[in-house]
Amino acid sequence: MSRLLVVLNWIENAILAALVLLLVGLAGAQIVLRDFFDTGISWADPLMRNLVLWTGMLGALAAVRDDKHIALDVLQRYLAPVAQKIARIVTLVFAAVVCAAMAWYCFSMVKIELDSANQPGQIPAWLPESILPVAFGLMALRFALRAFAPPAHTPPLLHDPAQAPAVTQTPAQS
Amino acid sequence: MIWLIAGVLLLLAALGAPLFALIAAIALVGFHFAGEPGTAVAIEFYRLADMPALIAIPLFTLAGYLLAESQAPRRLVRLTNAMFGWLPGGLAIVSVCACTLFTAFTGATGVTLVALGAVLYPALRQAHYEERFSLGLLTCAGSLGLLLVPSMPLILYGVVAQQFHTTPPVAIDALFKAGLLPCLLMIVVLSAYSAWQARGLPEAPKSSAREVWAAVKDAAWELPLPFVVLAGIYSGRLAASEAAAATALYVLIVTVLIRREIKFGELPRVIREAMLLVGAILIVLGFSLALTNWLIDADVPEKLFAALQAGISSKVVFLLALNLFLLVFGMLLEGFPAIIILVPLVLPVALHYGVDPVHLGIIFLANLQIGIFLPPVGMNIFIASARFGRPATTIVRASLPFYALLLLCVLIITYVPELSLWLAR
Repeated sequence: MSRLLVVLNWIENAILAALVLLLVGLAGAQIVLRDFFDTGISWADPLMRNLVLWTGMLGALAAVRDDKHIALDVLQRYLAPVAQKIARIVTLVFAAVVCAAMAWYCFSMVKIELDSANQPGQIPAWLPESILPVAFGLMALRFALRAFAPPAHTPPLLHDPAQAPAVTQTPAQS
Repeated sequence: MIWLIAGVLLLLAALGAPLFALIAAIALVGFHFAGEPGTAVAIEFYRLADMPALIAIPLFTLAGYLLAESQAPRRLVRLTNAMFGWLPGGLAIVSVCACTLFTAFTGATGVTLVALGAVLYPALRQAHYEERFSLGLLTCAGSLGLLLVPSMPLILYGVVAQQFHTTPPVAIDALFKAGLLPCLLMIVVLSAYSAWQARGLPEAPKSSAREVWAAVKDAAWELPLPFVVLAGIYSGRLAASEAAAATALYVLIVTVLIRREIKFGELPRVIREAMLLVGAILIVLGFSLALTNWLIDADVPEKLFAALQAGISSKVVFLLALNLFLLVFGMLLEGFPAIIILVPLVLPVALHYGVDPVHLGIIFLANLQIGIFLPPVGMNIFIASARFGRPATTIVRASLPFYALLLLCVLIITYVPELSLWLAR
């Protein structure tokens, strides 16, 4: 079970990294083409805009795992440990329910596009949209699981400059 | 029924529910009562893929995180110190400038505090600056670059404000130009204070020409970056998203392929860290697009203006109230979300009072910048406390003079619109 989770996390990171690198590469190529050759790839701009959505949604999914979603934590700090645990369950289950609802609504949006006629030779509209139901669905699942797990403590930087320069062996963690 | 839902959501917010889920819930409930299906929220959310300006956000954030994880902070400090360290208060001024540049690139004040604080704090202490002054200076300087190109909050403000099709329009590059002088004002004020603080300190020896040259060579790869980005954007040759693309590609090649300070195998985790921040912000933005639409349909900004007008008749009083309001929300909401949530409410009202939308953006960020390290719950107090290993109360006490100085700057920025608009219009 935990092995499976490690593999799934690895896949998630790899997809996210690949999409971000694709975005960087495309955006760079566009500048080179425009400034030096006076052309451009016509489909690059819509693709880049959708890559922002895709990487953003995958980032949001990853943020659930690290408890990095933006929230007010004013009151939480002053609660007793037991109350903190309950607050965590209540708020994250609430987030899971909202995500599940959004997954459903996004799925109906994609379904409308699926049913409508496609222009031949064009990328069908449901394809870029399909990240939404998938990502919200996975977020719902992960929020539900995180609600009962202890809070994550992750360092803000992988390499802490306060430590000796470079060559720090960061332990693999998921 | 409405009050019950509002009460439950408020309670959930206070308990620490993710902000995006709260906004999504409000949007879903609002659309439901307006007779619209939930699919409409999904369609509004998908507008995220329809905003070319957003492309700059993941690209700049990635570049910033790569720089933060590399040895660039150390080289930046070495270089500025070799050049300006001998001035009275030189090292403190170096700290202010280095933090400003760094935050401008990462858009994340906490990352600056962690990355540069580690290098600068020991250096300041070694140069005999008081502990209290050093702590306060770094805590405050961490958030200083928010007004400078290519800061992500400025881009976000532009994206949200453009939803309102104001006249004059809020162009991203106009915001970048508007932020320059206010940012300089804060740097100058803090530098002057630093020089005054350092008047009794032993004079630092002037660096040898050899050290200056060595530092320049050491930072040769990073050195062109700020110049290309600043010059490119301020001259209008590069759009924000183009500058972002060039920066991201360049930094990626330099840190991973040329300097190899980030190993290839670590790249996915650095990318993930950067995208966590981007994802957490974009998802809030997506739902607030839906919410904004509903707010406008329900005439909320107009009603708010009508209600406010009863008590606040002049622009001057409105701006003062706005400052207080933004300081509190900047403290509660760590900056980014404050922009996304508050701009749709505040912008239409501010327009009624005759505030220029570009000037409003600068006022917004200048206030949020202080809010980020304002007690009792400003995020950077706790980051600084963890970074420097001092209790949060010590950090707050050390920051007291800096609140005063920055508040003075904010008042000048608020009541002298020309400072922001001179370059932008």
